[in-house]
Parts: sequence; C-alpha cells; structure tokens
Amino acid sequence: MIDIRNLSRRRFLELGGAAGVSIGLSQAGLTGVARAAAPLPAVAEEDAVIAFGYVGPTSDEGWTWTHEQGRQAVAAAFPKAKSIFVENIPYSADASRTFRQFVEEGAHMVITNSNYGDFLYDVAKNAPETAFLHCDDRTMMDNLGVFYPSHWYPSYITGVAAGVMSKNNKLGYIASFPVPTSFTGSNAFLMGARSVKPDATLQVIVINSWFDPQASTQAARALIDNGADVLFGIMDEPGYLQVAEQRGAKAVMLNTDTRRFGPKAYVSSIMFDFRKFYVDQVRARLEGKWTPGQHLLPLADGTDRDAWGETVPTEAAKAADAAREKILGGWSPFEGEIKNSKGEVKVAAGQRMSEGDIYNWNWSIDGVSGL
Amino acid sequence: MAIRIQRVPSESLAGGVAARLVAIVLALVVAAIVFAFTGADLGKLGSHVLKSTFGSRFGLMDLGLIMTPLTLTGLAVMIALKVGAWNIGAEGQFCAGAFAATAVALFVPGPNVVVLPLMFVAGALGGMIWILIPTLARAYADVSELITTLLLNFVGVLLIYYVATGPWLDPSGVSFASTARLPHDVPSFWGDVHWGLPLAILLTIAVAAVLNFTRWGYEVRIAGSNPNAARYAAIPFRRHLIVVMLMSGAIAGLAGMLEAAGTAHRLQGGISNNFGYIGIMVAVLARGSAIGVIAGAALMAIILKSGISLQTQGVNISTVLAITGLILFFTALADELSHYRIVRTKEA
Repeated sequence: MIDIRNLSRRRFLELGGAAGVSIGLSQAGLTGVARAAAPLPAVAEEDAVIAFGYVGPTSDEGWTWTHEQGRQAVAAAFPKAKSIFVENIPYSADASRTFRQFVEEGAHMVITNSNYGDFLYDVAKNAPETAFLHCDDRTMMDNLGVFYPSHWYPSYITGVAAGVMSKNNKLGYIASFPVPTSFTGSNAFLMGARSVKPDATLQVIVINSWFDPQASTQAARALIDNGADVLFGIMDEPGYLQVAEQRGAKAVMLNTDTRRFGPKAYVSSIMFDFRKFYVDQVRARLEGKWTPGQHLLPLADGTDRDAWGETVPTEAAKAADAAREKILGGWSPFEGEIKNSKGEVKVAAGQRMSEGDIYNWNWSIDGVSGL
Repeated sequence: MAIRIQRVPSESLAGGVAARLVAIVLALVVAAIVFAFTGADLGKLGSHVLKSTFGSRFGLMDLGLIMTPLTLTGLAVMIALKVGAWNIGAEGQFCAGAFAATAVALFVPGPNVVVLPLMFVAGALGGMIWILIPTLARAYADVSELITTLLLNFVGVLLIYYVATGPWLDPSGVSFASTARLPHDVPSFWGDVHWGLPLAILLTIAVAAVLNFTRWGYEVRIAGSNPNAARYAAIPFRRHLIVVMLMSGAIAGLAGMLEAAGTAHRLQGGISNNFGYIGIMVAVLARGSAIGVIAGAALMAIILKSGISLQTQGVNISTVLAITGLILFFTALADELSHYRIVRTKEA
C-alpha cells in the first residue's frame, strides 16, 4: 500500500483505502525485496493463535495502548481465535526469547509494535509457518511483512497550527532515539510551522526511551527554559503535556487524545488507529491469503490529527486544516528545495520526496538542532 | 525445660539449602494464592511454565543463554564482596566490556582465531578500565565504591546508546539503534547456546579454587573480613583490594563481551538487560560461595525465563516482577532465619 517513487499520492491513497494490498518496494530505499511467496495455509478460527509483542505497557495511553485497541478489535472480529500479548519487550536478546516463545505456543501470526531488527529476523527465519508483521521495519522475508502509519502528514498539519500559535518562533521536540521516525516527525513538524513562520526553529532533545515520563518531563522543562513555546515529541506518555500546562506553553501529542492531562496546553495529537489494518491482516492469514506486504497507513485511514484543543485559535485550526485538505487532494509538503541542518541542499527545488524517502529520513532539515 | 531461640554464627549446609527450598516454595504458594483469587487456572499456568523452561529445547537453550552473563556478573559482585567491596557497577562494566569487544570486532580485520581472542581481552580490559577509577578512589582516598561504581553504570549505558545510534550505527540501514552485525561470533555448541556458558562456569570454579585453596585467596578473605586485622598480620590490604576489584570489573566486562559476541551479535542500548544489577542479586543469593553463584544464576535464569512465558499467558509484567520480588524476599528471610536454632535449656 506504500507508494513507490513514481507512484502519485492520489494513487497511494486509493491503495490505502484497500488495506491488505501491498506493492513491492525495493526501489524506494527499503532493504528487503517482496518475494512472490505462496500464501501461508489457511487456519481455522478456533485453532488460530495471534500474538502481539508490545514495546511498552498497554496502560500507557499511548503507542502500545493504540495497538492494544487493534488487538481487541481482532479478538472481537475473531472471537474463537486466541490472542496473546506481551508488554514491555526490550530491544535486546530478551525480545528474541519472547518471539520464540510465541512461536513455541503455536502462534500463526506475530505482530510487533516496534522494530526489533535481528531479534525478530532470527526467530522468523526459523519459523516459516508463522506470519510476522513488523512495525517500523523495512526488511521483508517470505513470512515477514512491515507496516507503519504515515505520521508525517498529521505532524506537518499540526506543525502549521504550531507555527500560527508560537510567539517565540521556537518549537521543541522530545525524541526517543535518533532513528528515522524521530527525524521524520521533527522535520515534518518544523516544515509545517515554517509554512507560516519561515524563521521558526526547532530544538530536539533525545531521551533514549519511548516511555520514560521522568526524562521526558525534564526534557520538556529544558526546552521551555530555552524559549520553546510549542512542544511536540514521540513519546508514549503525556508527561510533557503536563509540563506545558504548568508553564503556559502548548503541546502537540502523539497516539491518543490526552487533553485531560493539560486541557489548556493541548493543541492536538497525531492519532493512530490500527484496528482495521490488523483485522484485515489477520483475516487474510486465517483465510490462507496472507503474503508479506509493506504497508503505510495513510492520512485519514489509520493516522490523522485529533480534534483541536480548546485554546487553539480558529485561524490556527483553519490554516492547518487547509493544509490537511491539500494533502488529501494529492499535494505533498515534502518537496524541494529542502536543506539539511548544515545548509546543504538535499532535495532539489521541484523534486518531491517519495514515501520511502520520508519513511527513511535520516537527516535533520535546516532549523532543527539537537538531532 | 524451656525453649529458647539461639543464633548460630554459621548454619549447616543442609539447613541453608532446606531453608532456601522452603522459601521458594512459600513464595510460589503466596503467588498461587494471589493467582487463584484472580481466577487463573493454576495447573495450566504451572505446567506451562515448566514446559517452556525445562520441557522444551528452546526453553533450555534460553536458560543457558540467560545464565551465562548472570553467572559472570554474579561472580564479579561476589569476589568484590570477598575483599569487602560492593561492586554495584557490574552493569557499567558489562557495557564497557561489550563496547570494547564490539570495537575490536568492527574495526580489527582478521580471521576468527585472531580477532575472537582479542575480543575476549578487550572485553575484560574494558570492564577493568571501567572500575579502575572507583578502585583507586577507594584504595587511596577511601571514596565509597558503592556510589562511584553505581554512577558509572549510567555513563556506560549512555556510552552504548551513543555509539549504537551514532558513530557505529549499522550503515546498512537494517537496524536503527544498533551496530552492524558483529563479524565474529563466540561459537555455539548446542543450538544457540555458545561456549560462554561452560567458560563462565569454569571461571567461577577456578575463582572459587583460588580463593579457597591458595595463600593469596586466604589473604584476600582475611582482608575482606577485617582490614585492620589483615594489616596487623602484614597482609597488603590495599594491594588485594585493587587486584580483586580490577578482577571483578574484568569478569563483568567479559560478561558483556559474551553477550555481544555470543547472544545479541550486535551492540545496542538495551544489551545489558539489567544483567549487571541482577548479578548483585545472584551474589547475595550465593552468599560468598562460587557454587552458590552458579546456582543463583540458574535460579534467576529460571525466574526470568518463566516471566517471559507467564506473560504470554496473560499474566501482567508487574505480577511477574512481584513474584520475583517475593522469591527474593522469602529467600533473604530464610537465610537469616536459618541462622537460628531452637534449643531446649534446663530451668536454672
């Protein structure tokens, strides 16, 4: 469902409407090659075991919680199937142990909500009868497909609102690790802001965790101390929203509607919804039609902005929603000229970044510091 | 006749082992009662745990893989205790060892037979360097090694995060938060279980032999139990302290090397899996005995592995941690209680 370099955004959206469709992507900077593997054999619903491996706790009201909603949708759609999950799987050899345990328990499909790299591949290689869906990954195998929400569109849209609302023209971003998703989110957010405030800058603090309320809170304080008045981040918990609320700043969140933790500071959130995608994937697996694909959940179908917060001025909401409509109409904000933080032109004027380029973004744009 | 409770300085081996077993059973009973209240099927959970730890090839392999670093970090903490030092920094030394071994693996070209031994040396040296400053500070300025080794843990973990997501990031783009796959592996002898396990056990036995059957070991033990008495007996306390602490760091560093080159095959931020901290528990459970370190590491491996399989049965991660805590709590209690005996005394 992800686009290829020469696939138009409109075509991409059409594909996105039919979750489950996948296209080989080897030319879009993704390392794996989609193979013409025969689908895994069908499984009777009452025999099926679907396993979910989570990077955080299901109670995080964030990333893992949204995936847990997906699991519950699967459980509701296939009530006779058994669904199991493990929370807080670390990025270490413990991850392999957990995935292998899933296979040992007869899982027909294993879905993770984080990229575990080799720790997953090592298990998948030795479990050809198990289908794996690996979040935020680029590598494919005969039994391993990848998926991710295209969060850069709502990041850009909320960035527009942040640009209108920022008084200091200074934004802050709390990153987990210096990985593509952090680059993409922070770049898209600043590009949105710069579409209305060309002088806006964004300072990033990396905290080496997706879920560390103490570290994200400290980072938020430091960013606000440095003058940032709108915060954004890639955290699985609402810690920095509370800091923004106390300090009179604004915050754009991720994953879920967390406005009750900071109703005045809440601008919006990058919302994810994996329910339909998971149910479609599991259905394909049970019916014997599943083959590995590379899926990016598109804007308005798996990822979107949340309803605007109570203090968001109408002009900010209007400007941002106008950008959203434009994107839905086929326009891409990710067009040259784009310079990196050293001032070098990385995307020439008139050139449009492909979905693969955006997904694999590994450099900061001009105006971003700290990443 | 009256009954009196009397404290004995050292309990019998049988008494100690019995107390431990009672403690573990008691902890499991308490956990079972809690589970029963939540409506879980105890028989199913129990058989599931047994099957996924001892009853399957993968279960046993995992036990071996978890036991390898735990034996070494446990040994590292244990020998430091012998000389009266608390090495809380096995986590940091583990990271430093993994870091140094990875550096050799990634940047020193050459065949396995040359590079792998170099990685061993680098791992041990890395751990040793990591504990060097706390050691010298303790030996010459009486700075508490408890604090210095602990604080360096954070530095070690962050160092790995930095190189694994920065300069040493996998250039192939396959992995985002780890180095490239290491070109040299510690060879495996059974499935995924590598020679690190027998090496860790042999090293533990060797250290036990040296501590118990050599003059040096005797001096170390005296120095650890009473530094003043040791000095009075012309035992060079400071020298022993420095040597043993450096050995402790080297052993923890070796654990990191084995985890990177034997189990994880890449360096990444989470590589330590808290093995350094769990090593403290292993050492406490071992109570100064090397065989105890092996048994303690095995027990912790069983607990950690059971934790993974319990989670797939819908048991919450917090519950798993609570059970781990219960077992350690009861064990600590049992250890203390086994020092008491009931004696009958005649009324005066």
